[in-house]
Amino acid sequence: MRSRRDVLKSAVLGGGAGVMAATALGSLGPEAAFATATSAAPGVEPGAPDPNFAEGRIRSIKDNTLLVLGSNMVFHTIRVVDGTSLWKLGPVGFDQARPGDGLYARGVRMPDGMLAAEAVWLNIVNIKGHITDIKDQTLRLDHNGHEVLCHVVPGRSVAIHSESPPTADLSLLKVAQHVQILGAWRPDTNEVDIATVFSPH
Amino acid sequence: MNGIAASQPYVIALFLLWAGLMKLFGRRMRAQAGRSALARLVGAARAVPALRLVGLAELAVAAALLVPPLHPLDGAAAGLLATGFLGYLGYAYVAAPTSSCGCLGDHAKPVDVRSFARAGLLLAAALLAMTAPAAQPPFVPLAVLEVVALLALSSELDRHWLVPLRRLRVRLRPPLAAPAPSGDVPLETSLHLLRRSPAYCSASARLTSDVRETWDEDGTRFVVYGAGPSTAVFAVPLSGDDPRAVRVALVDEAALAQ
Repeated sequence: MRSRRDVLKSAVLGGGAGVMAATALGSLGPEAAFATATSAAPGVEPGAPDPNFAEGRIRSIKDNTLLVLGSNMVFHTIRVVDGTSLWKLGPVGFDQARPGDGLYARGVRMPDGMLAAEAVWLNIVNIKGHITDIKDQTLRLDHNGHEVLCHVVPGRSVAIHSESPPTADLSLLKVAQHVQILGAWRPDTNEVDIATVFSPH
Repeated sequence: MNGIAASQPYVIALFLLWAGLMKLFGRRMRAQAGRSALARLVGAARAVPALRLVGLAELAVAAALLVPPLHPLDGAAAGLLATGFLGYLGYAYVAAPTSSCGCLGDHAKPVDVRSFARAGLLLAAALLAMTAPAAQPPFVPLAVLEVVALLALSSELDRHWLVPLRRLRVRLRPPLAAPAPSGDVPLETSLHLLRRSPAYCSASARLTSDVRETWDEDGTRFVVYGAGPSTAVFAVPLSGDDPRAVRVALVDEAALAQ
């Protein structure tokens, strides 16, 4: 019996194509968690909450359901299924979700109010600032006067200098330079694990 | 002890001179006055006149401290000024925590513990200066030490010594030295290539999830996305940077379940 991965592999290597016919919906990468304006479901009034989106912090986890308290004090129940992607500094399994984690979720709102999640991003943050110090595999970031301690995670963290492809070599970063960091917040701390550092030069 | 007290007027005067001259003649400082906590206190329109007034007061006290004979009232005036600074910093910390204090330079750093330490040190120096006897030679080493301490507490000057120092340390002992080429390609590198590929561009409209699964096999990284009822699988070469080499297939979930 062939495994699921074997089926996928033979599909893409055997019958896979360089391009596919296009349709007119939006795409979802980690960046899409922030791109509310462009990826909002069609038919949503400007300024009205997108019913297919939820944000907040996980209060409890029961079976495959997350109870999430939004920052506007609205509770969401979010169901995670086999087809749901979870991000926590990279693709992870559902067992990595913990009470206290911050979350953005996108999916389909069910008639009973539950959100059937298609994609969940845990603790994802996107911060700008300038580097005040670099030591011991950490960057100290000054973000509007607040210090954020950013950890380099070997094998995960990459730097993108200008238009260059991502590199695991972060040694070109300099004290006092401006950067943007996409990463995973460590809940209830001022610390972040780095996914990507964007450097303008 | 007398020598220590006698050196205080010079230390305070030096700092007040710097602060006063910056406020009266620093063009960029005036331009940024509207963004300092002073603007919050007196209103944006009155920020520049208020800044000038404080600068004048600082220069007047500095002159009084420098011109002999030294009177205890000179020290008292400096103490009053330093107390005012502390009160103002306290106000800025509470009312405008993101604004700069507008004390000594045109930087945009908000009030922090160093600002309080500097104002506290100035207040202590002013109190000591009140006890200074006239015509006593100053104790130079301590005065120098105090000035260095005050300079070190001035975040306005960090870019002149702290940043170069930290850069030097990073250069001498690189804390983020390039990792040994282990052959492990970070996932983000593959995703960067993937997102620029014609295969991804043509399929992106159907993707409904972020990366669900990924594994490496035979020099290829397989990346799986949800695409509604189907699954989109991409094959991204681990070496090379030609986005046209990325392949894509849509697989029906029903076929996978068999």
